[in-house]
Amino acid sequence: MSKPTQHKNKRTALIVSVTVAGMIGLSYASVPLYQLFCQVTGYGGTTQVAEKPLNDSILERQITVSFDSNVASGLAWSFKPVQNKLTVRVGEETLAFYEARNDSDETITGTATFNVTPFKAGQYFAKVDCFCFTEQTLKPGQVVSMPVSFFIDPQIAADKNAQDVEDIVLSYTFFRSEKKPVEPVIDAITSSKVRIKQKDQS
Amino acid sequence: MVKNFLQFLWFAPFAFMSWVTSAAADIARPWQLGFQKPESPVMEQVVAFHDFLLILITVITLFVLGLLLYIAFKFNEKSNPVPSKTTHNSTLEVLWTAIPILILVVVAVPSFKLLYFQDRTTKPEMTLKIVGHQWYWSYEYPDHGKIKFDSNMVQTKDLKKGQPRLLAVDNPVYLPINTNIRLLMTSADVIHSWALPALIHKTDSVPGRINESWVRINSTGTYYGQCSELCGVNHGFMPIMVKAVTKEAFLAWTETAKKKFASVDDQQTQDVAQVQ
Amino acid sequence: MAYGATASAHDDHDHHPTGWRRWVYSTNHKDIGTMYMILAATAAIVGGLMSWLIRLELAEPGIQFIADNQFYNVLVTGHGLIMVFFVVMPALIGGFGNWFIPLMIGAPDMAFPRMNNISFWLLFAALILVCMAAFTGGGAGTGWTVYPPLSGSDYHPSSAVDYGILSLHVAGASSILGAINLITTIVNMRAPGMTMHRAPLFVWSMLITAVLLVLSLPVLAGGLTMLLTDRNFGTAFFVPAGGGDPILWQHLFWFFGHPEVYIMILPAFGIVSQVVSTFSKKPIFGYLGMAYAMASIGVVGFVVWAHHMFTVGLDVDTRAYFIAATMVIAVPTGIKIFSWIATMWGGSIRFDTPMLWAVGFIFLFTLGGVTGVVLANAGVTTAMHDTYYVVAHFHYVLSLGAVFAIFCGFYYWIGKMCGRQYNETLGKIHFWLSFIGVNLLFFPQHFLGLAGMPRRIPDYPDVYAGWNMVSSIGALITAVATLLFFYIAIKTLTSGKKCEDNPWGEGATTLEWAVPSPAPFHTHEDIPNMEKQPAE
Repeated sequence: MSKPTQHKNKRTALIVSVTVAGMIGLSYASVPLYQLFCQVTGYGGTTQVAEKPLNDSILERQITVSFDSNVASGLAWSFKPVQNKLTVRVGEETLAFYEARNDSDETITGTATFNVTPFKAGQYFAKVDCFCFTEQTLKPGQVVSMPVSFFIDPQIAADKNAQDVEDIVLSYTFFRSEKKPVEPVIDAITSSKVRIKQKDQS
Repeated sequence: MVKNFLQFLWFAPFAFMSWVTSAAADIARPWQLGFQKPESPVMEQVVAFHDFLLILITVITLFVLGLLLYIAFKFNEKSNPVPSKTTHNSTLEVLWTAIPILILVVVAVPSFKLLYFQDRTTKPEMTLKIVGHQWYWSYEYPDHGKIKFDSNMVQTKDLKKGQPRLLAVDNPVYLPINTNIRLLMTSADVIHSWALPALIHKTDSVPGRINESWVRINSTGTYYGQCSELCGVNHGFMPIMVKAVTKEAFLAWTETAKKKFASVDDQQTQDVAQVQ
Repeated sequence: MAYGATASAHDDHDHHPTGWRRWVYSTNHKDIGTMYMILAATAAIVGGLMSWLIRLELAEPGIQFIADNQFYNVLVTGHGLIMVFFVVMPALIGGFGNWFIPLMIGAPDMAFPRMNNISFWLLFAALILVCMAAFTGGGAGTGWTVYPPLSGSDYHPSSAVDYGILSLHVAGASSILGAINLITTIVNMRAPGMTMHRAPLFVWSMLITAVLLVLSLPVLAGGLTMLLTDRNFGTAFFVPAGGGDPILWQHLFWFFGHPEVYIMILPAFGIVSQVVSTFSKKPIFGYLGMAYAMASIGVVGFVVWAHHMFTVGLDVDTRAYFIAATMVIAVPTGIKIFSWIATMWGGSIRFDTPMLWAVGFIFLFTLGGVTGVVLANAGVTTAMHDTYYVVAHFHYVLSLGAVFAIFCGFYYWIGKMCGRQYNETLGKIHFWLSFIGVNLLFFPQHFLGLAGMPRRIPDYPDVYAGWNMVSSIGALITAVATLLFFYIAIKTLTSGKKCEDNPWGEGATTLEWAVPSPAPFHTHEDIPNMEKQPAE
């Protein structure tokens, strides 16, 4: 093979190899990009995190929020919403509760994933505070009441695709966390409430 | 009036075709050629649209076949010893680019209509929660006293008369007809998919998230489906069975179901108390 | 008449290494091409056996032979992986690509002959690894799509999936290196005067295929690595508990997976173009349209991946976009079908075995392609997803498309490769037997899918029995036809009639027909000059 041809070949091969490396880089970049994309657009019903809403932008429009709960296999917890559904006004901050109980005989740490349906409501569903922002550790038999504070962004009124949204489902799934369980942060008052409740039933 | 009539004319041949080719039951028939009989508004549209597509693709395929057969007869070595030198014809090239584009646009219009129709979130009159497990389904009725139960396939050796093999379950889902039902789907472990062919329903149940879809059933009957995403060794053995009943019968069922499937939570609370 | 190539007087001096070193250390594109073909044929036996076991089990309702459902899932997975990565790709790209690209462009060999060697032996290693994936620790029963969480460490705890991941990494590396080689060769080493617009369409098809490989395989590699670390090193790309998303895997996999199917079919398009032109004794109709149709199929193929994900819960506007984009591909594909037909029109066609396979391809690929248009529509696809309708669709375009093209290429080029010609009568019998067999095998699966039979199940409700039996009979006929093929291949290699340089006459105008049959170890050592050729 002539020298010029060899030289051209090496150059072409280099360009193509850089492209290969670039595509590998892109595929890893897709991970944070994907999360960012879902966050910004609310794709897949990804919810938003927000500061407290402005009190003067509460609309007359009402939406019924239903609360759903799931526990992944391998996690011996009971987990359910305290209230089945709430009808809220758009823009109004609302507090809802879920209850979790560790039904096993070991301390377990759980972490929750979440989304809302319909997906197009995701970008307007803003959580101010949520138990899902941190992991939860429960001792055996422990019952814990977990709050989530949210509001529906009044911007939803400007979205003509979301005009027909009258019902939103907020769903959580608890998984067993991979990390070692930490000392539970739950205060003694909650624990004693549990003991009283059990005594009543016996 | 005229518009309705024209729409009827347009769909009539397809409706006829679907009558001819589809089964007349809630379950497939042996040697079936087409879809199961549609039992929901969405499925009816799907069947009609598919029939339209089927005619289109049959015509195209037969056209290509016809051309090839003609070529085999007219242009084989013996019939045509001297090959032509033609390698271009601009008109032809424009035509066979433009006509397929046109055909695809004609297909795309009803396709998009169907897609957006399927996606409407009407106000749900009730909700059914579906959770996929390895290898069974569990159901929850959050609006009806939180009825909760598992639904397992009936093993072949336990089949009673009339129960179809691999499709019958111990606890079927009861749903009322003529009701807008919101379905919420998730999974407790791997990806499954809840499918009901007669109602054109198929949505994956993915762990860690809830998927939503809706269904409306036209007439009473028993409908079957099977898990539609490979989920392990018994993927083929976790069927779906839905009994569609009148609204009154459904309410009556919820009453018996509440007793039959007493909430597991209450039981667990009892257990904990006893341990103390 | 061949392009006025100067048939090199030096083509007779054939000294080359002998013994096992000739093969293990080979840097010769013909020998490496031959090794790829043998690997593909061997893998085809394994992959084919897996599919016949599947069809044997599915012939009747009830479980007859395969009591272990995990083993059934492993068969399904293995069949898919082996056919895609170890049969179709090596045969078309490693086999025919290596053999005929240098010959067609007037180059003495590939740009990087030693890297060519590495590519082959990497693939060999990958084949070993995929067999280990099937047979260690219960095997990988995930389907070739390897979706987590099923493929994650919780649900496939043994090392089987890890071997599978490793196998695909290695096979991917093999293909990426091969693609670099192909691109460099085609871009830089065409004979003087052979502009791209004068290059044979097979060359175009391999160039576009190689570009697709370079852009899509790294994404698969990235996803596979993420799955590997999820399984073994505690990362959580696809694990919801750790903040990951199983759907991300599907996006990454199908971003590779969809171009992959075009990677498998584009070389087939190239072969069909060469054969149709040769046997019609006419140049291809609308050469530029054909070349750029392939390029647009390649480009658009990158932006349609989510049509494999219509039921996972995508946003409705997203689905609408993917419907539109997917249907767009039908346009350049239609241009190709009609151009082949127009090439034949007015030709003086001899329907020898290669031409039979090519014409069969054109008809059956059309059939498979139109069911693809049906599947592109998300509304309807909800009914067909994960049913046998999809199985029927992709087998039509792959088994009756790419595989037909492989046989087409075999019959067209075997004389050039080994110096002996196949038996024409036997070749025709092989074609017709296969044609009947594969159509009986896959056409009824459309009905099964419409009737609601899901994929990847070892047993089915009794109502589906009828068409399943027909399909399994088709599989039996196809098996017989395949055995016949191996007989024909061996007979040709050992006692076929000597083949002249150009057995196909005036229609065979590409450069490989200007060198002797069998092609000598070294060809085009004096690079032919194409400058005096008329412009296309």
